[in-house]
Amino acid sequence: MKTITRVLPLFLTCIAAVSMVGCKPKTATGEGEKLTIGLLPKSKGNQYFVTCEKGARLAADELGAELLFDGPTNTDPAKQNEIVENWISLGVDVIAAACENKDGISTALKKAQQAGIKVVTYDADAQPDARSFFVNQATAQGIGDELMNTAAKLTGGKGEFAIITATLTAANTNEWIKYIKERQAAMYPEMTLVEVKPCDDQKDKAQQETTNLLSAYPNLKAVIAVCSPGVPGAAEAVKQAGKAGQVKVLGLGLPSENKAYVKEGVTQAVVLWKVEDLGYLTVQVAAALAEGKLQPGATEFDGGKLGKLEIKGDNVLLGKPFVFTKENIDQFDF
Amino acid sequence: MSQPTNQPKWTALLAKHETVLLAVILVEILLFQNLGRNFLAGSNVSNIFRHSVEIGLLALVMTPVILTGGIDLSLGSMMGLCAVVFGLLVKQYDVSPWLAAVAAISLGAFGGMGNAFLITRMNLPPLIVTLGTFSLFRGLAEALTKGSEAYSGFPQGFLNLGNANVLGLPAQLWVFFLVTLLVWLLVHRTVWGRSLQAIGFAPQGARYAGISVERNTGMAYILAGAIAGLAAVILVARLGEARANVGIGYELLAITAVVLGGTSIFGGSGSISGTLLGFVAIAILNNGLSRITAHQIFDQPVSSVSRELSGMLTGMLLLLALAAGVLLKSLATRRARRQSLVTTTNPTPST
Repeated sequence: MKTITRVLPLFLTCIAAVSMVGCKPKTATGEGEKLTIGLLPKSKGNQYFVTCEKGARLAADELGAELLFDGPTNTDPAKQNEIVENWISLGVDVIAAACENKDGISTALKKAQQAGIKVVTYDADAQPDARSFFVNQATAQGIGDELMNTAAKLTGGKGEFAIITATLTAANTNEWIKYIKERQAAMYPEMTLVEVKPCDDQKDKAQQETTNLLSAYPNLKAVIAVCSPGVPGAAEAVKQAGKAGQVKVLGLGLPSENKAYVKEGVTQAVVLWKVEDLGYLTVQVAAALAEGKLQPGATEFDGGKLGKLEIKGDNVLLGKPFVFTKENIDQFDF
Repeated sequence: MSQPTNQPKWTALLAKHETVLLAVILVEILLFQNLGRNFLAGSNVSNIFRHSVEIGLLALVMTPVILTGGIDLSLGSMMGLCAVVFGLLVKQYDVSPWLAAVAAISLGAFGGMGNAFLITRMNLPPLIVTLGTFSLFRGLAEALTKGSEAYSGFPQGFLNLGNANVLGLPAQLWVFFLVTLLVWLLVHRTVWGRSLQAIGFAPQGARYAGISVERNTGMAYILAGAIAGLAAVILVARLGEARANVGIGYELLAITAVVLGGTSIFGGSGSISGTLLGFVAIAILNNGLSRITAHQIFDQPVSSVSRELSGMLTGMLLLLALAAGVLLKSLATRRARRQSLVTTTNPTPST
């Protein structure tokens, strides 16, 4: 208790001393002219982002840039902001963020912009004024078109199909379904969508709904799941009904979650983007922006090994989604 | 037997827990200054405190609770609940942020009162009570937002509390100084504060000494709840967003800071100055590791495993500091005993 009188001044002097030393003019990054890129995932342990990092490292090596990869290890919403703010004072040149909480992280990203750091987002966007470009892994139309095209290819362009969705109110899945319907109407008149069923993002519910669909529509040719738990759920139902191969299963999901069903021949196709390429492109875009090679208003971007890519507004597009099948799914581990 | 008056001062000073911690902090600063990039840049020094003020606040008010021999595991969840109610008031009911802040602090105090009632009137163990409210408060916060809703778009004037500088220091650091002063005065300069140590040391004895154990213990939990509400408001101002999962795990870091600061987890002894130092040691460790970019560990740059490392090192620091404290203390007492032995067996020869 008595020590407070002795320690408190010491403590305050400590802070004062640290602050005073800190008032020295900020030294340069000390790494010569090497570009420093901070890549922020939504969460660090997630295999999806680990795969992103792999691609990002490849791009950083090609460009001779220094890549910092750091993200939250738990669900504390303050962590992403803290990492960005630490990068600001670290003196990175550009930050690329996948945003967990759009509004929260934007506060920190705007601070970075004010400090003269370039900001891009990837995977999940921030507020538009908190970044220069969004590296968009797939547009809603791209996803819708690819799912419908794949379904038509698998069924020979004829017959009934059904859709398993997350909920009937989710904005993103409804957008994809809209483009599936448009594509079907325009290109595949001999196919009919019989029903859209919600699975509440649960595998069990998806399985149950698919079982119901199979008995209600004996001529069903394909099930498209537009949410990731829906794909293995639908596959399990088709497998148990003994209709593997007869009713095609495809959808949007992670290859790792569907590998078993794909190899058994129950699920024919999983549609997603190449996650490694997303990381690669993000670093390419970030570096080009920091070096002034990429300016707002550009319509095309040279994505290194990915070739020329389209820029729509302020979205750099990764391009058409990728279809994972029995032949190639073993090469991917996310 | 006369008291040994010739005991060297430096051992006494070394044996003090605060001195050990100050040394730890200095080592940290020197280490990160040499290994880390821009560690002592002004903006980073601001960051160190900006990012940890909430944990510091919880640690300050956790100290009186632990002094009584109790514990409060619900403070992090309380932050979640207060943040959500704050956001709800401002965004849905158009209450001014400052008024809503008062409401959040009151709600925290009210929640603390709930803890206090269960602990002191129902005689339930603090660990169990606050473990219950730990889930209860977080659950309420999640129910209010249906687990996913978040409130954002607060006025800039309010966001400045979390992001602007006042007189060269982060705005929230001034709030922290004020609370530090308040809690220090309460714990070390009032009858209430002194009674807490007595309660923690021997509750029955305190009761026989005429101390109102229930009332005084309860006050500690109410104060803790209120300051958790304040911490929630500051965190929302920093993030610009109020959501149900803010403050997850903060209570454990606060407890770590308190125990690292030399307060006995069984109650009865401890100090606010120790807690402050424990808190600073943790805050610097968390920040500094993320700035080591040129060195590798586990085949990865240190900066990219900083979060994992800081967890490990915080734990090790806690255990080492406690062990060092015990060791130095026993060293000092042994030395003192030997010296008193020397003075008694070899009385100064009279001439």
